Amino acid sequence: MTMKVDEFEFFLTKEWSDGLPVVTPTEERVAHMLTGTRRDPGEVLGKVPPMLEPATVRTVAIHAVMAGCLPAYLPVVLGGLQLMLREEFNMNGVQGTMHGVAPLMIVNGPHARKIGLHGGNGCFGPGFRANATIGRAIRLMMMNLGGGIAGLASATIFATPLRYTACLTENLDRSPWESLAVSKGYAPDDDVITCVMVESPRLCFDDVSQEPDRLLTGVADSMTAMGSWNMHARSDMVVAMGPQHAEICAKGGLSRADVHRRLCEQAGRKVRDLKGGGNWRRERALAFPIKVDPDNDDFFIPAIKDPKDLQLIVAGGWGPCTAICHGWSGGSQAVHGRYEI
Amino acid sequence: MQGRIVDNTVDEFEFFLEKEWSDGFPVVTPTEARVARILTGTSRDPEEVVGNIPPAMAPATVRTVAIHALMAGCKPEYLPVVLGAIKLMLGEEFNLNGVQGTMHGVAPLMVVNGPYAQQIGLHGGNGCFGPGFRANASIGRAIRLMLLNLGGGIAGVGSATVFSSPLRYTACLAENTERSPWETIAVSRGYQPGDNVITCAMVESPRLCYDDVSEEPERLLTGIADSMAALSSWNMHVRSDMMVAMSPEQATLCAKAGLSRGDVHRKLRETAGRTVRDLKRGGNWRRERALKINVDPDNDDAFVPTIKDERDLHLIVAGGWGPLTAVCHGWGGGSRAVHGTYVV
Amino acid sequence: MTTDLGFIDPTVGGGKARILLAPRPMDLAGKVVGMIDNTKEQGDVILRTIADALKERYGVARVIIKRKEHYSKPALDSLIDEIAQEVDVAIAAVGG
Repeated sequence: MTMKVDEFEFFLTKEWSDGLPVVTPTEERVAHMLTGTRRDPGEVLGKVPPMLEPATVRTVAIHAVMAGCLPAYLPVVLGGLQLMLREEFNMNGVQGTMHGVAPLMIVNGPHARKIGLHGGNGCFGPGFRANATIGRAIRLMMMNLGGGIAGLASATIFATPLRYTACLTENLDRSPWESLAVSKGYAPDDDVITCVMVESPRLCFDDVSQEPDRLLTGVADSMTAMGSWNMHARSDMVVAMGPQHAEICAKGGLSRADVHRRLCEQAGRKVRDLKGGGNWRRERALAFPIKVDPDNDDFFIPAIKDPKDLQLIVAGGWGPCTAICHGWSGGSQAVHGRYEI
Repeated sequence: MQGRIVDNTVDEFEFFLEKEWSDGFPVVTPTEARVARILTGTSRDPEEVVGNIPPAMAPATVRTVAIHALMAGCKPEYLPVVLGAIKLMLGEEFNLNGVQGTMHGVAPLMVVNGPYAQQIGLHGGNGCFGPGFRANASIGRAIRLMLLNLGGGIAGVGSATVFSSPLRYTACLAENTERSPWETIAVSRGYQPGDNVITCAMVESPRLCYDDVSEEPERLLTGIADSMAALSSWNMHVRSDMMVAMSPEQATLCAKAGLSRGDVHRKLRETAGRTVRDLKRGGNWRRERALKINVDPDNDDAFVPTIKDERDLHLIVAGGWGPLTAVCHGWGGGSRAVHGTYVV
Repeated sequence: MTTDLGFIDPTVGGGKARILLAPRPMDLAGKVVGMIDNTKEQGDVILRTIADALKERYGVARVIIKRKEHYSKPALDSLIDEIAQEVDVAIAAVGG
């Protein structure tokens, strides 16, 4: 009697498995995936820390196959990984940290639309192949090539659900403003990825406010917490305004830059409200890139220490909701760049 | 739509990845042989009806559940947990129908206690909310695949969810009983330590709450309570569940200071909340909502507790050793958490 | 459920009950219209405004508005039956 290996079991029992089934990577499937790029399969993108296994275009294609990607998605996976290997992103640190953040990819430009990346209803959740599989391809590489395995190289206490997969686009169809990429100086038809290390989204409901002041007060409130690293170190943050909330702001005469500025100004806590719990330490406050007075109880500590750290996007379906993703403290800075099709 | 043809055979992966009810990840191809194999994980009759999944109300038999479990990546021994969970979730008070359609983004988080959870390797330590643990990942996913396929809770179709949530991919874990100073959540509710129990609550993804400073419980719990309240959290405005998962390190800090699980539970309920004055400034505050929860909307100094009923706060000990607690906010749609034993 | 492809396709889609639509009246003049208030704040204001407009513009004779118990739970069968007894046309809005 021949013993046929169950291909699913074979991969599900690997130490680097994320716990879910993969598409079996056959030579034929990898070859098919590689039709999604013009790049040389042997080209080295970099080494994934901390284990530092090399990622070639072919290696990336194999992981993209396993994740469930279509060949058309491959350029995004390649572009995303390359950005994430930049030193300032500090992939090495996040692979080992006790915290639970994931490299969220925000993809802008015509290619994102073409491949069906989703930025509307349910964009942070299951049901959208491009979102799900592109983000997953990155995670599989972080685990297999990088060795970022919980309880081994990774000291992550809880991880976070966003670590299964973290990729989306904006809801430009219903956004009153330009995209995140355009706001950073890219052209509207540039294909751009912004990557930022964040926790899973906190959902922020307001079906009451009809003008921006009150709306942004509520949003800003969810951008702070005694226990959030954003208050105690320089840290990125993503604010994904639902199109309905964005429209309230636009109708109130606010541009994207206005909202960005107001959130940076409003989100924060007084020293008095930070001392009583969470991660407040005087030395941390003194180490901020901005000058604060930790001995003045009335001093206002902003959640956003540098305006570049706030990634404001318009995403999600129509409804009175904004999603906020807090950041990390480990010296990671968001990265962004164009990717090759 | 037909799957892509590879060497004249349909690519089975493409076949399922293109389904409207796909979660976006590959599934284990359900063959008769695999179904027979996974059904060895239960002694129940495959034709036994478990219930109908709202809102599409397609029926789930033991066999149907088994098929979705196998697609998700489950081993046969995980099947009893999946069967037990879906049964609990169909309880009327859980309001699965509502959450399938809601604009919110909550998921049915399963906390599994008892010896069987340990036996099958359900994980409650480092990284328990994230990828890398097959039992956690596939059991939670089996539930989601049923909610999508049988229930029709598809974003933008049956579901009006604005953002959904990453927790909707999969939501299942165990406690870290090895390093917990207290009894489990199940035991605290009156179950026996040897009982196999599932607790299910509709919650958002966890908010991580860091504290490497506090050396005594008062300050620690103040910080955790702070993460339990927000102007824009539904928990402030209606009765809603909340899950607080303390790391073993933070639970031990409390226990060493003489606090029982019940003490911590009580202190969090007393501390977490906001004043009326504060709540009016933003978020979902409405007079009518306040009146419904017996809050005087004209008393700006009145304290509005996050937890309106002590049964709504689910306190567990989970995660690896470290200075962190995870707080999962709840839903506003009238779901009540459920719990019960399951048959192995 | 087993396809020719050698595996099972558990996709739900077959065997759905067919729901026949009740015939719609060609005009609303003199009719009794029913609506369900889902209890969301200010939903009652919207429904009353619609009710007034239906009477003014379409000659609707009477509008009955009933409240269900909770916005996230279905209306009780008894409530639906009650409305069905009293009205010619019912409007059930789906939304947030």
